Amino acid sequence: MQIEIRGLRKVYPGGVTALEAVDLTIPPGVFGLLGPNGSGKTTLMRILATLLEPTAGEAYVDGHDVRHQKAAIRRMLGYMPQEFGFYPSLTVYETLDYFGLLCRINDPSERRSRVEQSLGRANLDEVAGRRVSTLSGGMKQRLGIAQALLNDPSVLIVDEPTAGLDPEERLRLRNLLVELAAGRIVILSTHIVSDVSVTAERLAILDRGRLLFAGPVTELLAPLEGRTWIIDIEEEELGPIREQYFVTGVFRSATGMQVRVIADEMADSRGYPAAPTLDDAYVTTMKQEARLDDVA
Amino acid sequence: MTWPELRASAAIIRREHQLACRSAAFWAMVALGSLLALWRATVPGTSAALAAYQTRQTIVLGVGVLAIFLGGAAARDRRYAVSELVLAKPWGSSPALVVTRFLGVCSSLLGATAIMLLLSGVGQGVLGGTPWRPGPYVVALLVSAIPIGLATALGFSLATLFTTPLASGIAALYWVVIPLTRAHLPMAFDVTLWQDWPKSLLLGAALVSLTAALYARPARREGDSGRRAGWTAALLFAAALAAVLVVTARGDDGLLEPDPVLSAMASQVAVEDRGAPGFWLTDSEGRLVGLSDFRGRPVVLAFWGPGAPDSASALTLLDEVAREFQQQELACIAVLLDRDAAAMRLLGREGEDGVLLLWDRGRHFGDGMEWSDSPLAVSYGVTAVPAAFLIDQEGTLVARLHGESNLHRVRPAILRLLGER
Repeated sequence: MQIEIRGLRKVYPGGVTALEAVDLTIPPGVFGLLGPNGSGKTTLMRILATLLEPTAGEAYVDGHDVRHQKAAIRRMLGYMPQEFGFYPSLTVYETLDYFGLLCRINDPSERRSRVEQSLGRANLDEVAGRRVSTLSGGMKQRLGIAQALLNDPSVLIVDEPTAGLDPEERLRLRNLLVELAAGRIVILSTHIVSDVSVTAERLAILDRGRLLFAGPVTELLAPLEGRTWIIDIEEEELGPIREQYFVTGVFRSATGMQVRVIADEMADSRGYPAAPTLDDAYVTTMKQEARLDDVA
Repeated sequence: MTWPELRASAAIIRREHQLACRSAAFWAMVALGSLLALWRATVPGTSAALAAYQTRQTIVLGVGVLAIFLGGAAARDRRYAVSELVLAKPWGSSPALVVTRFLGVCSSLLGATAIMLLLSGVGQGVLGGTPWRPGPYVVALLVSAIPIGLATALGFSLATLFTTPLASGIAALYWVVIPLTRAHLPMAFDVTLWQDWPKSLLLGAALVSLTAALYARPARREGDSGRRAGWTAALLFAAALAAVLVVTARGDDGLLEPDPVLSAMASQVAVEDRGAPGFWLTDSEGRLVGLSDFRGRPVVLAFWGPGAPDSASALTLLDEVAREFQQQELACIAVLLDRDAAAMRLLGREGEDGVLLLWDRGRHFGDGMEWSDSPLAVSYGVTAVPAAFLIDQEGTLVARLHGESNLHRVRPAILRLLGER
């Protein structure tokens, strides 16, 4: 099972191009979709979730065409959009029961067991009887996951699931996504690099509708092996260091500041090598793209 | 459709019903409607059937407005940002789901109607002073289903296709303006009455089918083409309305079926020595006049229609009687039963000083004035006009005088009434 995307293009009626000729293959496991806000991630998610028609190109979910086989795709799909809500007057259980009906789980006893299973997975058992209007933001996000799991989907698409969550909730959600990835495709779209670095084996980076990278995380990190350094500096040195090196991160340390830089050679004696992280790779990729744009 | 699918549809209807019943607007409307219904049902002398009839008329209008605002499941989905979740589900955009959700909204509104009828019935039984009967209330609930269903279809379709409050506002305006201006509009545009059920049913079915067909189109949700789809829907709606009106348009004097609640009322007509049915009707200047305004005075209440040949002489007779018993404070009220108030305005200008002219909306059944859908006329047992009723100072019916020849007996009846005191 995999998702095949070929030459996918989306131009909105106003003339805004959200996706430009994207080619992508997504195998089972957690697949991270990284990019700044407005890069076209949500458009791609919505096309795969059959909610939006592409302008050109093709996309197949397990061989089913997103344009013409919507029903077949929706049967195997769990989707959690970026922004969503629930009917505030229904309880958590009633909400899931209603969505279970929309998933065509017609048998009441089967629906009950699916709802209970989803409640358990999203750790919502204790609030099943509470009205949705009384839930915290984190609980609502988990309910969003729970409703996407009702039909035991083989493709789970989650769009910015950790936005607005406290650190504990974020951690819990990441763990859940990793658990769910066994035997499934989980597409995790986010602009938060750490969400992807701790969950995904493969990723794609999108910027202004263009695909900058697609492949295993290791492949993205490989060019930075041996070129990533940490330098301990004084605060006032930051300006000159930025001019001299390509800085991917600045951190405060006990003695002053630490900067992460990408360089072929390290001239500064305070610099020592470090293992490249996804943050380094993401910032480098985005910067290269900006440079190419400047040249153009 | 298989049995499990039917059960699942019933479960969706139940959830939709719950959604409506848990909104504050819903209960505010039920409370307001119940108060209005109670006010009309507890006028002294009001029979169970008249109360059920009047309650139903009030409810159909009120629930109709509520139906239009609560009707749009898709508008609600958008308000709570649930649409994307719903649409990504296997059944999320199917026409069957649109129809099922429509039935769910209808069910909640019929529930509201049942509550209001029940409260009105209890009020009438306790305060109305006439015998209480369940029959008319049950019939009133059943015949309310069609106009309420149509109001729901109207609100549901517009709100589902446009998903904006503006669309609901326009639909509600249409719903309210029609009955308020019904005296000045051809009957063909009045879709709030039970008697027009074939028209209502066709229009409702056309609207819901159209919505089910257009709802899932992706173009509807994308900017410019979404607006285009909206305009298409509006044009199709206008075309459906026009087609239904053309198909079902009738001549104004055409035969109509009697309203079942009014038929039920015929078994409970006012009798001598019991309280006379009360009313609130408009005079030639549009002011509301009630029977209770004349408490303490003897009243001659006459019914007439412009089509009945003896009506002119009956009005002249009433005028004479009014002048003759001016000292005794006799009130003479002549109720015009007609489609509109035009005949009353005509007479009002000629100055029938002694007689108070009121108008009640009545339509003709049969060739002459054999039957009317004026609930007041039915509750007084008027089978032909002119007809007159003498009511004493306490509001008790003391004499029924049918036909022009019997009207001359009004003088001795008044003298007898005044002599007794």
